[in-house]
Amino acid sequence: MDPLTLVILAVKSALAMMLLVAGGAKLADLGGFTATVRMFLPRPALRATVRAGSAAVAVGEVALGAASVSFPAASWVNPVILALACVFVAVSGVGYARFRGRTCHCFGALSRRKFDAWGVARAAAIVVAAALATAGVRPSAVQITALARAGLLAAALVVALTAFTAARALAMANRTESRLTAQ
Amino acid sequence: MNIPVYLVVAQWALLLTLGLLVIIMYRQLGRVFGAGQPERKHGPAVGSKAASFEYLRVADESMQYFAPGAGQPALAAFVEPTCQACDALVAALTVADQQGELAGLRVVLLMSEPPGYLRISDAFSATGLEIGRVTTRAAHHAYNVDSTPVLVAIDGTGVVAAAGTAFELADVRAYCQACLVPAPAVSLPMAPGF
Repeated sequence: MDPLTLVILAVKSALAMMLLVAGGAKLADLGGFTATVRMFLPRPALRATVRAGSAAVAVGEVALGAASVSFPAASWVNPVILALACVFVAVSGVGYARFRGRTCHCFGALSRRKFDAWGVARAAAIVVAAALATAGVRPSAVQITALARAGLLAAALVVALTAFTAARALAMANRTESRLTAQ
Repeated sequence: MNIPVYLVVAQWALLLTLGLLVIIMYRQLGRVFGAGQPERKHGPAVGSKAASFEYLRVADESMQYFAPGAGQPALAAFVEPTCQACDALVAALTVADQQGELAGLRVVLLMSEPPGYLRISDAFSATGLEIGRVTTRAAHHAYNVDSTPVLVAIDGTGVVAAAGTAFELADVRAYCQACLVPAPAVSLPMAPGF
C-alpha cells in the first residue's frame, strides 16, 4: 500500500467528516449560526432570508461531505472543498479582524471556538489539507462498487445525524440542567 | 477479494467520527445526571476577571457583546422566566431601575429559555431592563452559574465585585454598591435558603 495514497485518502476522509459534523451541528443550532452570519452582512437583511442562507450553508456542507465520502473518484468534489476552505480562511480573517473573541458557531453547540488567531491558523491548515486532497491517486484505490457507495452514503448521513443529535443533546442537557436547578 | 484502499480509510474515518460524537453525548449524560459534581457553586469568584460573552437581545434579536470593564460597572443577572426566585430578582431590579439606583450601570438579564416563555412571567414582561438570550451555556459556564437566579456585580475594571444568589431589593442595592466601589472587593453572603 502506497503511504502517500494512504495519507491523501485519510486527509480527504477527515475533511469529509469535518464537513458532515459541522453541517449537522450547525443545523441543530441554526439560530446561533444565523446570528453569526448576520454579523457579516453589511446591511440589515430579512431574517427569513438570512436563516434560509444559513440553512443552505449547513445543508451544503453536509451534501459536500456526503458526496466526498460516497463518490471518491468524482473529480469535481476536491476542488469545491478547496474553494470552500478558502472561504473559511476569508471568513476567519474577517472575523478575527472585526469580531475578535466572538464565537463562530462553526460546529454549532459542539464547540465554543471563537474568532481568534488560532481560528485563522486552523482555517489555513484546512486549506493545506484540502489542497493535499486534490492530489491524484491511483484510480484503483478509489474505485468502489455501487453497493459500497450506497453504504458509505448511508454512513455519512448517519454521521451528520449523529452530529445533529449530539449538538442538540448538548443544548438540551444544558437547558435541562438549568431547569432542574432553577426549581 | 481485493478491497480498495479508500474503502478501508473511509470506514475508519467514519468509525472514529461516530466514536467521538458518542463520547460527546456520553459526557452530556454525565452532566445531566450530575456525575463529578459533588457541590453546586453559585457565581464566579470575587476578585476574578469577569468573562465577556455574547447574547441575542430579545427586543430586536440583534447580537450584543458584553465586555466587562472599560470604566463601566455592570450587573449581569442570570435568570429564567420559569424560575420563581428569578421573578423576584427581576422585579427588584426593575424597582431599583425605576428609582434611578442603576444609573451608570450596564444591566443585562441573561436567560437561556425560549423568548415565548417571557409571557408567563409578569416581572419579565413588565421590566424595562435589557433581556438577553443565549443559545449555548458558554456564559453560564464562564460565570460558574449552574442554578438561577445568580447576580454578578462587576466593577469598572472588569473584576467581579460580588456574586451569588439574590432576589430582594436589599440584595440589589448591596450589589450595586459593591460594583460602584471597586476596591476592596466585597464578598456577599449567600441568601438564606439557597
